[in-house]
Amino acid sequence: MTLLREHLGFDSVPASVNLCALCGSVVIFSGMMPARTVARALLIGLTFAAPGTPAYAQLPAVAVERRLAEDLALRVGDTVRLGTAPDSMRALATVGAVYEPRPDPAQITKSERHMRMHLPDLAAILGAPDRVDRFGVGLVPGTPADSAVAALERTAFGYQAHASSAIASESSQTFIVVSRFHRAIAVITIVASAVFLLCIMLLKVEERRMDAAVMRFVGVRRRTIFGALLLEAALIAVAGSMLGTGLAFAAGAATNAYYRRFFDTALVFSLITPGIVFFSVALSLGLGLAAGAAAAWRLVHTRPMVLWGRR
Amino acid sequence: MKGIAWGLKSLRRHRLRTALSLAGIAVAAAMLLDMVMLSGGIDKSFTDLLLGRGYQIRLTPKGTLPFDTEATMAGASGIVAALRRDPAIEAVGAVLGTSLYGRTADSLVTLFGYGIEPDAQSLYQLASGRDLTPGDSSGVVLSEPAARFLGAAVGDTVTLVGRLDPQTVTAGVGRRLVVRGVVRWLYDYRGQPSVGTVLPLMQRLARQPSADRASVILVKVREDAAVPGLAARLRARFPQIEVNSVAELVAHFRERLVYFRQLAYILGSMSLIVAVLLIGTLLTITVNERLGEIATLRAIGVSRATIVRQTLAEGTALTVVGSALGIMLGLFTARYLDAILTSFPGLPAAFSFFVPRADTLGFAALVLLVTGSLAGLYPAWLASRAPIAATLRAEAT
Repeated sequence: MTLLREHLGFDSVPASVNLCALCGSVVIFSGMMPARTVARALLIGLTFAAPGTPAYAQLPAVAVERRLAEDLALRVGDTVRLGTAPDSMRALATVGAVYEPRPDPAQITKSERHMRMHLPDLAAILGAPDRVDRFGVGLVPGTPADSAVAALERTAFGYQAHASSAIASESSQTFIVVSRFHRAIAVITIVASAVFLLCIMLLKVEERRMDAAVMRFVGVRRRTIFGALLLEAALIAVAGSMLGTGLAFAAGAATNAYYRRFFDTALVFSLITPGIVFFSVALSLGLGLAAGAAAAWRLVHTRPMVLWGRR
Repeated sequence: MKGIAWGLKSLRRHRLRTALSLAGIAVAAAMLLDMVMLSGGIDKSFTDLLLGRGYQIRLTPKGTLPFDTEATMAGASGIVAALRRDPAIEAVGAVLGTSLYGRTADSLVTLFGYGIEPDAQSLYQLASGRDLTPGDSSGVVLSEPAARFLGAAVGDTVTLVGRLDPQTVTAGVGRRLVVRGVVRWLYDYRGQPSVGTVLPLMQRLARQPSADRASVILVKVREDAAVPGLAARLRARFPQIEVNSVAELVAHFRERLVYFRQLAYILGSMSLIVAVLLIGTLLTITVNERLGEIATLRAIGVSRATIVRQTLAEGTALTVVGSALGIMLGLFTARYLDAILTSFPGLPAAFSFFVPRADTLGFAALVLLVTGSLAGLYPAWLASRAPIAATLRAEAT
């Protein structure tokens, strides 16, 4: 860490450096078993709850994720036993804080439970002093990340430097795949909806063939009938779009409520933006009007006697 | 028969609306089929993957799944020896998974290493060359990506190094090994550069050379029916180790992919509703249009049953033809959707989300046929209840 700080201090990169290696973390994998059972058996053994007991006053403090605290019924001040394997639970620590982690979509399907501790305490448990997995480097505003990465790479310390944007891009691959899948499903759904809409509009307009025949018999112009049928189609499309938008908001709220409860997270699963509403309404209106116009055009160009059913 | 023939004629008379309805039903049927394949395909594919070589139980470090973490079990050879003494067990194989490096002309490439027991391995299939033999401490098998990265072929020598110090770029241990064969690792993701050696050698290349550690122990049971009982027995015997049968692993995997299963149920249900609405609406409007014709038929003595059969036949014909088109469309779209989902990072290349199976296709077709036919019930009831005299009078005026 010192080397890195010194290096950046002497280098031409105009950056002030903040080395974010102050906290390590222990990950508890609850696997197939209830987290309570596994965590007790695995990395944390709850020894006793005696906040403020003088003999343990100097124990290292750990911050425990809220879900882990709930699973183990831990409270601030409790003492826990830590280790890297069930047969090496030798380190003691006190619960200094219970924290709510930032909602992370990458974590929701995993049963991992986390806790945070000071780096030297973690290093002592792992038996790996002065070692870290990664450094976070904060650049002063205006410093290009790419040039800082290149400067760090040139030092050949034996590490790999990555810009945060590159890591974000790499780690978001899962969500890019899910997003592509959703888009593909959306295309199929839109095709199905479009065909459904066309069919309904056609049937709806054809239902008016007798009315259209009568109007033609009494001298109403084709254009007027076409306009009337198109207006009817437009009204149906508008009403359907409004109803559909309402249904979408209701379904979105239900989806969010269900999955937030299911995964115990504050993440938003269904997000209906004005852009999505605009696209959906425009598409359904456009399709409805096009289908209505096509059916109305076909109707007004059919002979009245045929419409009346006499030929 | 008369009613059915009339129903089919009625569909032919309105070709545009029939074609549009068939298109709608086909798309809905395709979506339903895809979603049925998705809901069952995940389980089937994962089960096939795990049971590929017949090992029904996995032992892993407490609280972990196979290769889910870097955690390992100590005293692996003792556990394996104890398991091999159990008469219900046919074979046992320990595996250590670890990161290591391969030396090329001017740099190091990162590899994933499997330490295996060649006489009880279930992780790969030989593609070319020959397999490792027990005690072969100078041989290595490579995946195709690893062979490509290392520029090595069968018979070549490669250098593997482990316990690398990143600050000085020096290796704690290195070995020159002869490539015995190129293999296909069953659980590797696409493009994963993996190598395999005998277990003791990989333990030396990994971080803990003296601890006799393994990442997973695979157990093949003589009788499938004995698996749950044996798993429970092993759980009691090794309380510090996670014991899972394939069925339990599948259940856990299903939990992780619960989103896709639920999405499949929701979209499948919606597809079914769309198909039913489409058929129901079409038939209702058709019946309303033909009330005069139906009343005339009733007036000349055609029975209500014939009228009902005619309407139901229309619905069934639409469903059958639409479903047939939908199955073809569904199989095509399933391949496309599968290609998207299998590009998930870290997913085994052999895994598939959409698995076409005869029972899946049959189930989707049956559900569609039944619901599509039922969708014609209301219009059929309307047709059969049409008042003859009033309808004929209204038609005449």
